[in-house]
Amino acid sequence: MEERRGDGGAGGPDRPLDPREWEESRGGRPGAGAGPRMTAEPERGAEDHEYHWHTGAKREHGAEDAVEFIDVVKAFGRNRVLNGLNLGLPDGQISMILGPSGTGKSVCIKHMVGLLYPDEGDVLVHGQSVPAMADDELFEMRKKFGVLFQDGALFGSMNVFDNVAFPLRQHTDKGEDEIREIVMRRLTEVGLAAAAEKMPNELSGGMRKRAGFARALVLDPGIVLFDEPDSGLDPVRTALLCELIQEVHEENGGAYCVITHDIMSARRVADYIAILWKGRIVESGPARDLFNSDNQFVRQFLSGEAQGPLGME
Amino acid sequence: MVQSAADRVFLPTKNLLEQVGDMMILTGKTLVSALRPPYPYGTEFVQQFLFMLRLCWLPLTISTIAFGYGAPGLQAGNFLVLFGAIDRLGGFFVLASIREFAPFVTAIILAGVGGTAITADLGARKIREELDALQVLGVDPIKNLVVPRFLALMVVTGLFNIYALIFGIFGGVLATLTFDAPLGPFFATLLNNASTTDLWGSVVKTTLFGAIIAIVSCYKGMTASGGAEGVGRAVNQGVVIEFLGIFAFNYVFTQTLLATHPEISVIK
Repeated sequence: MEERRGDGGAGGPDRPLDPREWEESRGGRPGAGAGPRMTAEPERGAEDHEYHWHTGAKREHGAEDAVEFIDVVKAFGRNRVLNGLNLGLPDGQISMILGPSGTGKSVCIKHMVGLLYPDEGDVLVHGQSVPAMADDELFEMRKKFGVLFQDGALFGSMNVFDNVAFPLRQHTDKGEDEIREIVMRRLTEVGLAAAAEKMPNELSGGMRKRAGFARALVLDPGIVLFDEPDSGLDPVRTALLCELIQEVHEENGGAYCVITHDIMSARRVADYIAILWKGRIVESGPARDLFNSDNQFVRQFLSGEAQGPLGME
Repeated sequence: MVQSAADRVFLPTKNLLEQVGDMMILTGKTLVSALRPPYPYGTEFVQQFLFMLRLCWLPLTISTIAFGYGAPGLQAGNFLVLFGAIDRLGGFFVLASIREFAPFVTAIILAGVGGTAITADLGARKIREELDALQVLGVDPIKNLVVPRFLALMVVTGLFNIYALIFGIFGGVLATLTFDAPLGPFFATLLNNASTTDLWGSVVKTTLFGAIIAIVSCYKGMTASGGAEGVGRAVNQGVVIEFLGIFAFNYVFTQTLLATHPEISVIK
């Protein structure tokens, strides 16, 4: 493991290298070269070794934030999943939250739609505090969202058509003919028109995910959240899904937020990237800036290399 | 060491109290949701009601006849025959079947067959993130899933209590016939001792058993976590809590009923 940390192996610490150690061995400085538009958060416990790579750099994206996390802390028992998270997801752009497994990406999505509440801090959707909403306001606010869950989360008692039609029947006064037209258009887009009458347990994982995608988009929501849309899909379908996300976004606009591990997907569709690790943002900003970041953690993660500050720990 | 021992005692107790508190909150929210318009749960209520009928009628028939015939029927009959008082078996069935055994057997069958089905169903939906998806789609799971189950279980448990009474007393009839005794004295002492208070007390008690079963089943299902194993654990915990809740509530209800209606304690 220490060999994998490369240059840090000589010192033999059983911990991630801190930026100074790493950069000294590379002749650089963490977070350097971020450009003049970059702003940094006040340092939070610099002595906290875990967060040496978290420069908290936020690069300007030139848009209003549709969703904001302000100093969010969330713990499950003794496990602090989000630890002072500050993040803004720009409106009108496709954002990606990237990060190693188990770092709190899905927990972020659940906070946005009020399925989880922060222990500390606040989550704002279009400037409104989600934790402060009453149940009725929350259900109303959720109508702004379309969410694609990891496994599609289709209703097992309904066929694919009824699953996709469910939000339309629930929240609109549209007639059955119009609903049929909209649903079939969405199902055609995701390549499931022929499977409209099938039950969810007759579909493969990828098909369930595509059906969930169609359902998430059927109300043309202003904010769409995708929880690992590419997991379980083959590379071609992943590429097609990314293309579809882009097309739908171009057509409808709004804030799209994709959670993924897949760097290729990030390269294809992301306008804005936030890298999450250990419950905080390492860096966030427009995709092209992040892909050129000097932060070694960001560079390692976005290039998918084994060598770097991120080990198996 | 001391910390670890304290944690071992303190954390489960805290967890238990939190769960009881959560179930109380769920009960309150369910009642409010049931009464506040809109009322979108009609279809689901009918489906759940029919589902419970379909699931429980046969186990309940077998259990009530077997239990009525075996426990209060043959056991008490053996005892009464010693005193030449087998005609009092009908009166004993008021105490045994109407006040206690019919509600108990009904609640146990409903908890074991219907309650577990509800926990497993909601637990599986929770694991598949269906419940999260419902909420995100702006649908209140309490109003749409808990309320219909709560109402259906209350109604069906109350009605099944009447059914259990009938078949429980049928067990007593079989026991009387087993002792070659005439049925006239059985029914005479049964009707002499039975009162409307016994009947409504039995039905109300069982209806409230249904409410306990519904709340616990829904709560355990909707908070299941940890995959398929977690659903199994939720079902197991749910049925244990339901039995404990039923026994504890039965004690409180029976004591209250006897205290407020002392005339039903008089043997005629």
